[in-house]
Amino acid sequence: MKSRREFSPQTLSVLAALCEQPSRWQHGYALAAATSLKSGTLYPILIRLADRGLVEACWQEEPQPGRPRRHLYRLTADGLASATEALNAPARRQPAGRAARDMRQPNGRGVAAPAAQ
Amino acid sequence: MSWLSRAAARLCWLGRGTARLCWLGRAAARLVPAERREWAEAVWAEAHQVPPGWPRLAWRAGGVWMIATQRRTGTLLLFAAAAGVAAWSAWPGPSIGGAAVERADVIATVLLLAGLPVMARQFFGSPDNRMARWLRAGCYAALLAFMPAKAVLELFIGAVPRGGHDLHTFDLFEGHGVPGTVSGGLGVPGEVMILLLTSCYVAAGLALTARRAQVAPATLAVGAGAGLALGAVMYAVAPLGFNVKFPNRPWLHGSAMVPFEVLAWVLLFCAPLAAGLVAGLRSSRSVPLERVSVTRARQGAAAGLVCSGVGALFVTVAGTGTTALLVKSAWVRGLLYHGQHLTASAIYGRELFASQDVPIYALTCVIFPIIGLVMGVCWVGYTNVPGPQPDGGRGGPGGPGGPPGPEPTPDPPDGGRDLEVPELVGAGVGHLT
Repeated sequence: MKSRREFSPQTLSVLAALCEQPSRWQHGYALAAATSLKSGTLYPILIRLADRGLVEACWQEEPQPGRPRRHLYRLTADGLASATEALNAPARRQPAGRAARDMRQPNGRGVAAPAAQ
Repeated sequence: MSWLSRAAARLCWLGRGTARLCWLGRAAARLVPAERREWAEAVWAEAHQVPPGWPRLAWRAGGVWMIATQRRTGTLLLFAAAAGVAAWSAWPGPSIGGAAVERADVIATVLLLAGLPVMARQFFGSPDNRMARWLRAGCYAALLAFMPAKAVLELFIGAVPRGGHDLHTFDLFEGHGVPGTVSGGLGVPGEVMILLLTSCYVAAGLALTARRAQVAPATLAVGAGAGLALGAVMYAVAPLGFNVKFPNRPWLHGSAMVPFEVLAWVLLFCAPLAAGLVAGLRSSRSVPLERVSVTRARQGAAAGLVCSGVGALFVTVAGTGTTALLVKSAWVRGLLYHGQHLTASAIYGRELFASQDVPIYALTCVIFPIIGLVMGVCWVGYTNVPGPQPDGGRGGPGGPGGPPGPEPTPDPPDGGRDLEVPELVGAGVGHLT
């Protein structure tokens, strides 16, 4: 079983944001807005998750006119399972209270992890 | 309307800052390894979605930070910064005689430090363990620290006092010089020799820590640890250059020096020997019997070389740095000669002695690695002498002495070919049933 100890609070918040709509591709700025993370924190997390096969990334096929193509992200099947397990796992004792609140409400909208598929 | 113009100016400044950061980020993205470049481009592409002004600037700053924290890029940026600081510190002024040679030396050293890893990657591969990376970083830090220290000493030795007792002291030890003139550098032969020595050390360090050298991390750790111990003792004996004639030793006097000198001699030969022994025995545990000798020799030689190389580099850089600080810093002078009431000319004399003695460190840089290499492998022949074997010392079938071993297994009827899996399974099943 995946535990919260495997992921940092910031990583858990990214996973929670991606879990909101697991099948939908999301872009970096939306994830940053949802998690309140800076780009210098968000992208290294996404890189690590992609290296572990938990997140897949691709380039936007039809970019907006005059804008460069955007990089899109979503959870893989393994990523969804790991994220669901980690988000539903009991929180750590010490920083748990705040971390859990942060995880459940990374953007203040009360995002909850979806049930495992 | 002043607030409007201020706001416009601020936005303009922000725009310029964003453009600069954009250019910096694009340039930095080229430093990112190919497999990571996509991510750097992703941050840059996404910046167009971020509101202009501070948020976009912060977004791009985050991208630059992400690029900088990637291992290879971070290493490159760190090296560029450290090399820049070292070159700036060692860069001679225009009024110094021989400044052109000094500048060429600084440029050549930086190019050497930057270029050799690229060549080493082509021939030997990148380091594949943390110990190798730490050793490389330590070696580079030492060589970069050596640059300004060497420049300070060269400048000090080249500065001829204007007159008085100092000029007399200078003439006594350095020969006659034109009072008031300043020349830096050892001249072309000296600079070329130091450059050659530096390139040998960098090349050896890069080769030993590369993947294809197959030097175990434990070997590097043992060699480096023993080398640091050797270097520390050598530094305690000779912190201001090697000189036995003049009393410029700051902290060990008379009989207090003897145990350290004995320890230094013992360590000079025994530290690489012990490092080679430990590294060889450690690494040969998990290799096939026929490769034990080669593995022991390789790891022993590497450990001995690392040990003596690290020791020589440590004492050279620490000694040169201490002498440079002695020349530049009154606080260090007070610390080194604490409690001794020295006149200004006596201090100058000691500084001059020490600065003169520093080039002898170069000799240690040549001799130590030879001793280390020899001591690192000399034990291998001893440990490879065949001792009593479990089979009675026959040394294999047909060997002399001892009780006879079991009869050799007859050749299989199929001519020794491996059984196919279905045949094996079938045979096993048939036998069981």
